[in-house]
Amino acid sequence: MILKHFRLNPIEVNCFIVGCSETKEAMIVDIGEWVPEIPAYVEEQGLNLSTIFITHDHHDHTDALADAAKHFSATTVSCTARPGGVTVDRVVGHGDEVTVGNLTGRVVDTSGHTPVGVSLIFPGHVFSGDALFAGSVGGTSNDDDYNQQLENIRKNLFDLPGHYEVHTGHGPSTTIAIERGSNPFFV
Amino acid sequence: MGSTHYNPALCATEGCEHPALTGAATCWDHLDYHAGFVDSLDPSNLANAWLVGIDASGRDWSGANLENARLSGANLAGTNLSGSTLTRCFLDGVDLTKANLSGAEMEFAVLGQADISGADCSNANMVRSNLVGTKGHGANLDGAKLYYSRPGCADFTGATFRGADVTRAIFRRAILRDADMTGAEGQANFDRADLEGMTQ
Repeated sequence: MILKHFRLNPIEVNCFIVGCSETKEAMIVDIGEWVPEIPAYVEEQGLNLSTIFITHDHHDHTDALADAAKHFSATTVSCTARPGGVTVDRVVGHGDEVTVGNLTGRVVDTSGHTPVGVSLIFPGHVFSGDALFAGSVGGTSNDDDYNQQLENIRKNLFDLPGHYEVHTGHGPSTTIAIERGSNPFFV
Repeated sequence: MGSTHYNPALCATEGCEHPALTGAATCWDHLDYHAGFVDSLDPSNLANAWLVGIDASGRDWSGANLENARLSGANLAGTNLSGSTLTRCFLDGVDLTKANLSGAEMEFAVLGQADISGADCSNANMVRSNLVGTKGHGANLDGAKLYYSRPGCADFTGATFRGADVTRAIFRRAILRDADMTGAEGQANFDRADLEGMTQ
């Protein structure tokens, strides 16, 4: 797997490029800002950027979706129909699969921070958007959403092997074992 | 910005599903020349390496380049990593007791559930680092840059943070008993942290 991290815009949102080492096909996970380093990296590595995946409809994760989709002629995928006002090519939900080259990612429901939100799980790697952070969880607007978020994380992420890396929407990456064992919102 | 290229082949041992170490055919558990393997490593050239579980305790790896490397569960007790580059390095669950991490570059490093008790992290760049559940009894973090770091549920009993930058660090439910925060700068989140005996 190829994995590249970009820290974007003033509120420090993360953007990732996930690629298949064998086919060089690649995907962007969330894109809050269009910076020249992104296309430069794609070109430098000889990647075919075929897909843009949005974990949830918040502007800091979607602001450059239109620019990126146009630049790469990429297929857009999200859990809602119009993230950031852009009509996506494919709407996915819990249990759906998204492929990039020889890698297959599984979509799981991690709603709570937003009414609909998902995480994307590849073997060994999770992209959790703003649901699960290192030592924290995404902000919610009421108790029901908060409880729903914690329940979704417990049910759909914490059952993964402990060594899985979790790449979050903001801040540092983490692992399932760290968060299952030491996240102050769960222990 | 950093990149990570994880392409570890699987361990050559039949039935083993762990990745092989970078530069070896097997994982650490199935390696039969532990000391020799560590001797063969060039610390200045270990970016992106897969070194899960290795024992490099007590080695002099000052100035090492371990950017984006994965060393989960390794034994680096007493290892000299002063001035090393550990950006985005996975050090989760690593024994770093009494290690020398002074002046190390550790932005985005994952130290969750690691043990840095007695370690010297003075003047280290730990901006945006993951310190969730980290144990750091008596650790020296004087002058460390901890902006936007995540020390939730960490145990820094008796640690020193003199003159450190803790702006936006989230010490939620951390233990900071008898810690010394004299001269620490910036607004951190100490929600439900144990601050008994902490000096500010």
